[in-house]
Amino acid sequence: MAENLLTVDGLSLDFRTGRGRVRALRDVSFPVRRGRILGIVGESGSGKSTVLWSILGLLARNAEVTAGRIDFEGRDLLTLGGADLRAVRGEKISVVFQDPMTSQIPVLPYARQMEDILYRRPLSRAAKRDAAVDLLRRVGIPDPDSRIDAYPHQFSGGMRQRAAIAMSMLTGPNLLLADEPTTALDVTTEAQIVALMRDLQTEFETTIVVVSHDLGLIAELCDDVVVMYAGEVVETGEVRDIFHHARHPYTRALLECDPARIAEVSRRLPVIRGDLPDLTRPLQGCIFAPRCQRAMPGCATIPPPVVPRGTGAAKCHLLDGPLADPDWPPPAGTATVPRQEAAAPPARPDGGTLLELRDVNVRFRTMGPIRARLRGVADPHVDAVLDAGLTIRAGETLALVGESGSGKTTLGRAILNLQPVDGGSVRFDGAEIANAPERRFKPLRRDMAMMFQDPVGSLSPRKSVRALITEPLLIHGVAGRDLDAEAERLADMVRLPRGFLSRYPHELSGGQARRVGVARALALNPRLIVADEPTAGLDVSVQGEILNLMSDLQAEHGLSYLFITHNLPVVRHVADRIAIMYLGRIVEAGPAAEIFAAPAHPYTAALVGGVPHPDPDRRRPPGSAIGGEVPSLLRRPRGCDFAARCPHAREACREAKPPHARIAPGHTHACLFPLRGANDTTRIR
Amino acid sequence: MIAYLVKRLGLAALVVVAVLLALFSLLHMIPGNPAILALGTRASPEAIAEYSARMRLDEPVWVQFAYFIGNALQGDLGADVFSNRPVTAVIAERIGFSLALICAGMGWAVLLGIPLGCLAAVRPGSWLDRVTGILSVGTIAVPSFLVSIWALLLFSIQLRWLPAIGAGEPGDLPDQLSHLVLPAFAIGLGWVGYLARMVRASMLEVLGEPYIRSARAFGLTPRRVVLGYALRVAILPTITLIGMGFGGLISSAVFAEIIFARPGVGKLIFDAVSDRNFPLVQGGVLVATGFYILVVLLSDLVIAWLDPRVRSSL
Repeated sequence: MAENLLTVDGLSLDFRTGRGRVRALRDVSFPVRRGRILGIVGESGSGKSTVLWSILGLLARNAEVTAGRIDFEGRDLLTLGGADLRAVRGEKISVVFQDPMTSQIPVLPYARQMEDILYRRPLSRAAKRDAAVDLLRRVGIPDPDSRIDAYPHQFSGGMRQRAAIAMSMLTGPNLLLADEPTTALDVTTEAQIVALMRDLQTEFETTIVVVSHDLGLIAELCDDVVVMYAGEVVETGEVRDIFHHARHPYTRALLECDPARIAEVSRRLPVIRGDLPDLTRPLQGCIFAPRCQRAMPGCATIPPPVVPRGTGAAKCHLLDGPLADPDWPPPAGTATVPRQEAAAPPARPDGGTLLELRDVNVRFRTMGPIRARLRGVADPHVDAVLDAGLTIRAGETLALVGESGSGKTTLGRAILNLQPVDGGSVRFDGAEIANAPERRFKPLRRDMAMMFQDPVGSLSPRKSVRALITEPLLIHGVAGRDLDAEAERLADMVRLPRGFLSRYPHELSGGQARRVGVARALALNPRLIVADEPTAGLDVSVQGEILNLMSDLQAEHGLSYLFITHNLPVVRHVADRIAIMYLGRIVEAGPAAEIFAAPAHPYTAALVGGVPHPDPDRRRPPGSAIGGEVPSLLRRPRGCDFAARCPHAREACREAKPPHARIAPGHTHACLFPLRGANDTTRIR
Repeated sequence: MIAYLVKRLGLAALVVVAVLLALFSLLHMIPGNPAILALGTRASPEAIAEYSARMRLDEPVWVQFAYFIGNALQGDLGADVFSNRPVTAVIAERIGFSLALICAGMGWAVLLGIPLGCLAAVRPGSWLDRVTGILSVGTIAVPSFLVSIWALLLFSIQLRWLPAIGAGEPGDLPDQLSHLVLPAFAIGLGWVGYLARMVRASMLEVLGEPYIRSARAFGLTPRRVVLGYALRVAILPTITLIGMGFGGLISSAVFAEIIFARPGVGKLIFDAVSDRNFPLVQGGVLVATGFYILVVLLSDLVIAWLDPRVRSSL
């Protein structure tokens, strides 16, 4: 039996677009070794997903393979068509998609979807159903006999992804492809899915190819790694070689930019300067040369050599040939990407309280009064935010961390009076602002700005950047200012080239759209910015730019940030204090360093431990993932909301909600049996 | 589900009352004595007095309206001014012709338009897609009464293939069907194009969805992917459109029934308006409204049946 189950050999592919031919893949070659998990890692635009679609023959209509072959069981998949291709798809090669919300047909129950996948098998419907039920049970769907008749929207995100895995494993494929299988999932769910994929791989001896931008996932799950950049494979190798002894400057830079791999807390994150090359232009030399710290004159013109090592290879002039540098690669831990120096020393919070929330509740109506009467529901409401209290001091960053459905965005909207609150107090600069009428609140909007989650979607597509960033000035009638001069001042502040002022949102990259969002938030010189997931969807090499910009602006203008996010590795670097939300309650709040070093609440511990480390030597042992799922707001437990999933829960936890308690100065929690004592400094270094 | 039905039926009742109110006030807003309007200026004073008493025209307006609503709710829509037969009976003997026409018109439009839209979406840019695109704009743009007249001139008068007027001999099904063909063709033609366009657009969108890519990735046959998966989702907005389309067809049917002298409710209403036979106008419009409300409710229920997401939110 051949060692390689599948071989991609010299694959080149163009997309025909209105701008000309985009040379999306160029000479991509790598083997997929039988029985192993291969990770294809790269940032957006690297072509990693295009490789995946080529294997399945599911490329877009405007794609054209110009060279290469994909060998699978002695046949070239690129030449298969019709029934031959369908005999491979789903039967020998199967796939798990990124977003289980959109990749499962909403109008058919799982039973029907899974029976359809088995259409080639000469089995009765009952036998197919039994096979499907077995696999659903195997992937951890409780009560699969009845749940198989459910529709996708009746499952939670984690359950849907489990079902997706069951669907892909149903035919016992030789090769399983997984496209960003955990990107759409929460941290605690992600850990469960990673564990499940590892188990299944061992049990079924399936070969897996995982495509992801997430270095943590790749390190945790994969045996071999392919690193892609701008349509080329720049480095391949075993996972330890890649993570500990990377040889390509891009791989080095990518690893150094990951906040989870930066041990010491730093407000200045490294970035890879520059942008992706324009793939419609003729390309020569090394594709990474324009952004490479070590680029030499020859790099831009002479194609780099492919230098093998073990089972892998790297494509760089530094490794071989006339431009080789015997001192490259530098030892692990040496920085190859320079950190930008801070524009100003970080401002220390001056201690004055800017925003204070006490016992804030936000309730949502779940059904109309008539329906509630008909169904005998006494209180047709859910508590999206429950007795939330927090303070933000002038000049500090508070991170509000939680998984989807934790109420963090709702709380942010409530602070900005975009959402009425049902009880509690919100004080800004000493004045009560909860439920203030908009006429009275409007002047305050100049002091409090919002950065919205979706950078492009929150910008009107018909307005130029100039109009967008001066819009707040017009809304607030800040008269007598020269708007063009203001637009230029703001563009300079967020380091957006002035030429971009006449562009429209669809002409911006993700990072540039974020800058416009920051500029809009800054237009009125606010004192507090509520930033909702400011780095979601950004590549690792770019998110540092936005975070550095935000931190510089904070130092210069004494801004306060409420940083709403689920991304803990980033939070560790940017936040002074952290508040953790679970099911609408703040379960723990305290100084960032303390939260990471010695969490009091078991949920905090689960979150901190739930993020996979981008280091293959720090894989979590099997069974360490916390079980269960976030309960529905409709069925909020009487006691501690986390009790059902908590490894330390006792009877008392299920009786009543644990009150908020103080465990150290500025550190509160809502747990009856916290993981650390009041003055237990042994766990705080 | 029950609560949803109760709510929808309650809303339907409100709409019916609003329509009754509109019809009623229409009658009262026409200047002059309603009795003289109805009977004509040469009617004898006795006839006017008798008519006024019969129609309660001497009572205050709101009392008249209350009687009107009360009677309508009991199924009494008044009597034909001329024959004095109950309006409900007159409508009952004509409604079958209109229902047959509307259903046949929409029926052939659905049977042709939906497959055309599907095929066009599966092969965008093909000759079938282009022809469908051009023809659908053409058929939508031409008013149905023009199609009726042309069809009448071509197929009945020039070619003599099909009968020109009437609805056929009672009890003679083939004859009745042959009388149905031309008017149904005329009122349905625009809907063929409309449905083809709608299904094509909706289908193109659905075919780009990730779950269709999943179905392909699992190796399902193109036929299963298109008919079993994509069409199941793409058809949903079309069903709403078909439901509302029946409303448009009611007015198209009026023209078709006039042109083909088909004794349906549309022709009935038209004649009643010309004769100022107001009880008949009220009854006819009420029945048309009720039919439209019923069809829209039915289309929403069909969507709930096909789409579990809608079902669970009911």
